[in-house]
Amino acid sequence: MSNVILFNLTTVLFGVASALYLVALYANNEKISAFGSWVCILAAVVSTAALGVRWYESYQMGIGRIPVTNLYESLVFFAWSVNLFYLVVEKKYGSRTFGAFVMPIAFATMLFAVYNDSSIQPLVPALQSYWLHAHVITCFVGYAGFAVSAGAAVMYLLKARQEASHVSEGVVGLLPACKTLDDLVYRTIIWGFPFLTAGIITGAAWANYAWGTYWSWDPKETWSLIVWLVYAAFLHARITRGWHGKRAAVLSIAGFLATVMCYLGVNLVLSGLHSYGGG
Amino acid sequence: MADEKRTLPPIDRVWNFFISVKLAIITLIILSVTSIIGTIIEQNQPPEKYHQIYEDWAFALMDRLTLFDMYHSWWFLLLLVLFTVNLSCCTLDRFPKMWKVVRNPRTKLDENLEKTLSLADRWKKKGTLQDWTAKYSAALSSSFAKPMVTDEGNEVHLYAETGVASRFGVYVTHLSIIIIFIGAILGNVFGFKGFVNIPEGEAVAEVPVRGGDQTQDLGFSIRCNAFSLETYPSGQPKAYKSDLSVIEGGREVLRKTIVVNDPLQYKGIWFYQSSYGQAGGATAQVAVARKDGTPMGSLALAANEDVRVDGYGIVRGVNYDQDLQGNGPALQVVVEKPGQPAASFWLYQGRPDLDRQRNDSLVFSFGGLASKMYTGLQVAKDPGVNIVWLGCALMTIGIIMAFFLSHQRVWVRLSPAQDGRVEVVLAGSASRNRLAFEKRFEKIQTGVKAAGQ
Ligand code: HEM
Repeated sequence: MSNVILFNLTTVLFGVASALYLVALYANNEKISAFGSWVCILAAVVSTAALGVRWYESYQMGIGRIPVTNLYESLVFFAWSVNLFYLVVEKKYGSRTFGAFVMPIAFATMLFAVYNDSSIQPLVPALQSYWLHAHVITCFVGYAGFAVSAGAAVMYLLKARQEASHVSEGVVGLLPACKTLDDLVYRTIIWGFPFLTAGIITGAAWANYAWGTYWSWDPKETWSLIVWLVYAAFLHARITRGWHGKRAAVLSIAGFLATVMCYLGVNLVLSGLHSYGGG
Repeated sequence: MADEKRTLPPIDRVWNFFISVKLAIITLIILSVTSIIGTIIEQNQPPEKYHQIYEDWAFALMDRLTLFDMYHSWWFLLLLVLFTVNLSCCTLDRFPKMWKVVRNPRTKLDENLEKTLSLADRWKKKGTLQDWTAKYSAALSSSFAKPMVTDEGNEVHLYAETGVASRFGVYVTHLSIIIIFIGAILGNVFGFKGFVNIPEGEAVAEVPVRGGDQTQDLGFSIRCNAFSLETYPSGQPKAYKSDLSVIEGGREVLRKTIVVNDPLQYKGIWFYQSSYGQAGGATAQVAVARKDGTPMGSLALAANEDVRVDGYGIVRGVNYDQDLQGNGPALQVVVEKPGQPAASFWLYQGRPDLDRQRNDSLVFSFGGLASKMYTGLQVAKDPGVNIVWLGCALMTIGIIMAFFLSHQRVWVRLSPAQDGRVEVVLAGSASRNRLAFEKRFEKIQTGVKAAGQ
């Protein structure tokens, strides 16, 4: 299938971009990281085309549907969102060092996707709903925001340790200032949170239309609520109690771990315990 | 400080406990951590299943803590109540203050205020106060927002603002959570959830309620006229449909074919396509004709059940073979006529004329097996659901207001300087996204300074 070839190419491009950003960081070379940015843009074009082709191919197979309905597709869509989210941040903050911390997330996601079944399967009746489109897209944009935030939080923790010891050499010295990183941790959550909220609401609307209950405490729903509560705690700690810096960074990382659990863990870990789950 | 705290009357101390954001953060974290339990321990399973997994003592302890239905346990509900009380108190405590600030904005740029504003600029102009007031008012109107003018004789203050709505975002969001809870409670108290299987051609007027032994009277009946299943070439189900009728007072009042994701609704009760299956055993379809070929109709033979054919005898289907001696599907039939020994013979689906060889008064031909299906319907009445959706809509709006709007304020103070000119101070502040406001402030600066040039 040509879409899978394009996705494999995307994986390679993400790998190349990650490598370029990391090398640029070590070599302190702006040219290499600028090249990395171009690779990211190319990857964005290729992966967008891949999604479109996959959509088109599903129509040709007579099961036309949006390409975000199984694990493989959700992984590539997540990587696609992370890449795009990252490019926006890069443009806005005018710094390319973030790439070394964010692009590996997109690359790892694609590597993981490659090991999953990439065939286009028909949709079971419950998934044939417009709510599904809105639900998956909003959730994944939210997740992408949290991923970028966690990347920035890791950078923050590295940088803060170094600033505390008053040395500014080596790779860490090249990271943006603590203040910028701290701001980025917060701002990406400001974007991720409304999208996750919309994701949970559209999920509830869909469940209500398909099964007559908008909330049934199933593990996926519950984990999305957990993620939401963690970021709500983050926002309140930040706004009303002035949690900045280290504590905010730790909370952002905790939130992203919960996000990963919600997204993958529920299917991969908990499905060993329960009969539900699956792709 | 500490003394002051200790001397507070108890009621104030309780209030201060409930309005604290620290409590909110702790509650949010506890809620999220405890919620994990129910995703690890499978909920609402029969006790035998838990006994297989857990030791007796562990089972007893977990049962005691209601961990097998933890989202409805007293302690989880208590946490939710604590969260709601905290949210309500905190919001009630802050709203009036915010309202006052919004209703009575600081329209004058006095020195105290000026000190707190990081964005400020000052310059001097020749001319009169009145003249510059008019010019700067117009400039502010075009570059930002129409200002309010406070003329104090020797000093004139201009004040303009945009995005006041952002101050309300928090309250809309918090209120929306309470509205969602109200909707959920209404749904639980006044609604019900049930599940029912209806065989094709049959109707039901009451449904068993989930999680109990009761049934719920619908007040009308619902009939499944037909059920159909569409599959992908791989055999996976693609769509399943039920043709349903609502019957009230003996009349059909509504008819709709439902599929998954497209339910039927009547009088606030929703019917969702949920599952399907075979209702009872299959029946064999047997066409009957006279010897001369005149069709007489058809019989539906359930396994081993007698069917009487008037003026002929009793017909019974006793056996079915999918591929009898390589000749395809076949049905074994027994015919009992009064006063005669029972006759038994096979009818081949692929050879409808073969039965003529028996040279009987009636000729049978087997048309294949048909199975009656039932449709599985999820039935729900939830009078709170629209309130929940209202809450969700408000939450979305509230979060957007809080995060993406910014209350931006700009002040101008005009006063006579010692040298006879007019001294102008321009200052501004924004409730969020200060970087973006800095850029906007520069534009306002340029716009105002250009006035009267
Ligand atoms: C999960 C539930 C909650 C959500 C989704 C939520 C949402 C929000 C949002 C969107 C804001 C605005 C943030 C901003 O201006 O950047 C906010 C602020 C705030 N929230 Fe909540 N909130 C929740 C629970 C609570 C609770 C339980 C309390 C109880 C004390 C609380 C107290 C506050 C306070 C004091 C503010 C700051 C208001 C201000 O800026 O003046 N929140 N909340």
